[in-house]
Amino acid sequence: MLRRAIVLAVVAIVSVAAVARLGAQTSWPTADSYVNADTDTANWILPARSYTGNRYLAHSDITATNVATLKKAWATNIDARGPLETSPIVWHETMYVTSSHNDVYALDAKTGSVKWHYAYKPHVIAFSANRGVAIGNGKVYEATLDGKLIALDATTGKTVWSVVGPHDTTNTFYTMQPVPYKNMLLLGASNGDWGGIGYLTAFDAGTGKRIWEWKTIPGPGEPGHDSWSGDSWKRGGAAIWSGVAIDPASNTLYADLGNPQPDFLGTIRKGANLYSNSMVALDISGDTPKLKWYRQFIPHDTHDWDPAMPPVLFTGTVAGASRSLVAAGDKGGNFWVLDAGTGTVVYHIAVSTQKGQNTEPSRAGNIACPNTNGGVEFNGGSYMPETNAFYVPSVDQCGMWTSPGTATYVSGQFYLGGAFPKLVGPSTGYMSAVDIGTGKFLWRKHLAFPQIGGALSLASGIVFTGGVNGDFTAYDAKTGAVLWHHPTSQTIQAPPGSYSLNGKQYIVVASGPAGINFADPRFAKGAPTLEGTYTHPTAATITAFTLP
Amino acid sequence: MRTIALRLTCVLALAWMAPAQAAPDDHAGAVAALADVHAAIAEIVRIEDGYAVGHGAYIRAAHRAMNALVGRRDDGYAASYGDPGDGVGTLGHLDKMLDKEGSSLWTPAIEGAKANVLAAAENLQSALGQKEMEEYEADLTRTLANLALVVGRPSQDGVLGGLAGALGTTVLAVPLGATSVSGCTDPSRTPAYGIVAQRLVYVALPRSAASAAIPDELSIGRVVVQGDTVLLYTRGAASATAGCHRVSRLERTRDVARARPRQVAVAAPEPPYTAAQAHAGAAVYKKSCIQCHGADLQGTAGPAVAGKEFLTTAKGNKWTLSDLRTTIFQNMPFSNPGSLTPTQYADVTAFLLASNCYPVGTKPFPQADSGALAAVKLGPIPGAKATNAKLGTCAVR
Repeated sequence: MLRRAIVLAVVAIVSVAAVARLGAQTSWPTADSYVNADTDTANWILPARSYTGNRYLAHSDITATNVATLKKAWATNIDARGPLETSPIVWHETMYVTSSHNDVYALDAKTGSVKWHYAYKPHVIAFSANRGVAIGNGKVYEATLDGKLIALDATTGKTVWSVVGPHDTTNTFYTMQPVPYKNMLLLGASNGDWGGIGYLTAFDAGTGKRIWEWKTIPGPGEPGHDSWSGDSWKRGGAAIWSGVAIDPASNTLYADLGNPQPDFLGTIRKGANLYSNSMVALDISGDTPKLKWYRQFIPHDTHDWDPAMPPVLFTGTVAGASRSLVAAGDKGGNFWVLDAGTGTVVYHIAVSTQKGQNTEPSRAGNIACPNTNGGVEFNGGSYMPETNAFYVPSVDQCGMWTSPGTATYVSGQFYLGGAFPKLVGPSTGYMSAVDIGTGKFLWRKHLAFPQIGGALSLASGIVFTGGVNGDFTAYDAKTGAVLWHHPTSQTIQAPPGSYSLNGKQYIVVASGPAGINFADPRFAKGAPTLEGTYTHPTAATITAFTLP
Repeated sequence: MRTIALRLTCVLALAWMAPAQAAPDDHAGAVAALADVHAAIAEIVRIEDGYAVGHGAYIRAAHRAMNALVGRRDDGYAASYGDPGDGVGTLGHLDKMLDKEGSSLWTPAIEGAKANVLAAAENLQSALGQKEMEEYEADLTRTLANLALVVGRPSQDGVLGGLAGALGTTVLAVPLGATSVSGCTDPSRTPAYGIVAQRLVYVALPRSAASAAIPDELSIGRVVVQGDTVLLYTRGAASATAGCHRVSRLERTRDVARARPRQVAVAAPEPPYTAAQAHAGAAVYKKSCIQCHGADLQGTAGPAVAGKEFLTTAKGNKWTLSDLRTTIFQNMPFSNPGSLTPTQYADVTAFLLASNCYPVGTKPFPQADSGALAAVKLGPIPGAKATNAKLGTCAVR
């Protein structure tokens, strides 16, 4: 009898475990969840909330009238070896974030306490950055600075599999947040200043196997190849650094491709250098992507002015008519609105100072604006239908450019054909609201520091963004008035996000040390912020805010 | 090269534990390096002896010779002109031989050969820039003089004399899989190579193979036939075997050393810098670099710049001191490149070299790159004593 009872108990335990496992298996986002991610206010499951790439919430408890009472709910310090650019993924009360050196954290979204921590020590080629993880099927996916795509068990943080993605890890790595789409993880290769060629790769989310790859520079015999002189296309760049947008209805993927190489020397790569500095629309319904259209923003760029901002798909009202549009922003200080179906330019407006843009860097040096790290940066902007306006942060800097007239490829080193420019004059920033109805500014704020944190807009009439001096600010979407601010005392380079728990809405943002592009000399002395001053931080923090 | 028959015969022999055997691929590397040199010489001789009309043929010949010497991994390689060599290039083969830990009897010869290949490449580069035929030919003549030294020859009793010398008189003569035996006694089997203290004493062949071709490099002083064995004694055999009564002990010592490789610093050019520069550079680093590269130099927002992580990358990517200098002087600090003075740049480079445990010297790190820095390859330093063993870095005071 005793023996039988034991057997029964064992059976019972096994059954409970099986049920629990079954529960875990079905509790992950489905393909439909991703397609409808913009309607889910509890979770945030794609890098920029939805496949449109638009960080916008149609329903928000935080409003222009109550945002002044927004308070810090929790703050959790994570690995501070570099700047944070992570876009938090939130699913069923757990938040997944990354550090610049590829550590992954699962946090309790309510308290910020660490559920698990995956520590990693990647080989860093030039700078450290990671823009976050993807989740699905019980796994957390991260792409690393040494070119690995790693799948972790979402419950334990232990490695399930790991594959090497790039063809040459001495000049190619990953900073992008993987984008789950159908059975795939989409990932752009980062190599735009190191002498590689860009490509977008689709990996099987189950196994990490390569499904397809689309090269960003046309090879011999392909249309556009003649836009490169000689063999210059072989190290031509056009990396995919940040995000992509997808229209699931038409299986169209929109990606912005980076600058041509060598960055500052155009004489050895005569021509327009396609598809560098372009937005491309790809049909990804078949076995391999097909190019639908491209729009090159800066042909034959010699200043590293790539379109850093991830594409944002939206339906806006242009001259009274509703149109399907896609927005882009480049480091040359341009903000672009294109027709999403054809790629034709609807609007173009300068959001940073522009000067000397048509002169190639010379041996003696010449000044051009923006600086290499100027204009619109990697975390981009947001469209709000309620105001029919696009909110875009930018950097205002000028630089002195030089090129010795030669370029030498050394694996693992910058392939620039010159030097990164020296900062000339002040380093400031703008927060701009562009009226999509007219293509003119609705309002602009000139700020003392570069604005690179990305924007989140709420239908209730608020836009959140952060500055490199640590100010995290909520603006009135109609007027640009500051409704609320919080000094994080750390540089904000990451985009804000939102989620809800038990009916309570949270706003979350990552902050930390300044990245190598934004180490501002003013920090050493204590730079002014909206409250007090800011000095070089030694910590990196994820902070969540909520109403009392 | 007329070594094929001999080597074919030799590889048939059963290999057995033999004293003083070169690493198996070194022989092949030296032979291939020499073949590339001969290919380069042939290109030069052909164009000098011929009557080509027009600039193109001369440029082509210089490029082809260059390709054979430097190999396709070098920046000087111009694939479109074709390569009369094997693609790896003399330099590629020699670097591989020199990249190993420890040194052999033949190491100085290979280093000398490399120095002469680099000189030859410089003269070829100069030729490519000449407008006058006379100057072009003068450069090629200098190139040929350099290459003659690279080829070299076996001397009476030493290891001197470039690749051929090393192949003809040292353990480097032994191909992969061949049998080598103590040169102090007659061979118990054939074919075999008789070796004493890494020097080649004889090549022993069965009589049936005696009519086979023998290596060009082999400098035969004496031929002895003993029963079914033909012994080809090298010219240096007498001096090599003079110490045979001491040899057994020496050989044992060497074998022990080989089993646990001794940390011998390869006599490659060392980075120049002074203690005063490194000291001054520490302050520059603290002010302008520490924010992105970290107090422990392992990188925060930027990459590691010292220790195992950095040196392993440097070696993997074949960085030279010139590459490092360009990155620091031209592109750093990343947020404001070129903003330091030349003195500060030299000082901070010295600080990094010291932090990487490179030995301090009396010659300062130069503010201008004369070209000599390109000859200094960066990578893990054998025998270096890191003050931080985990990171592989050295503290700078």
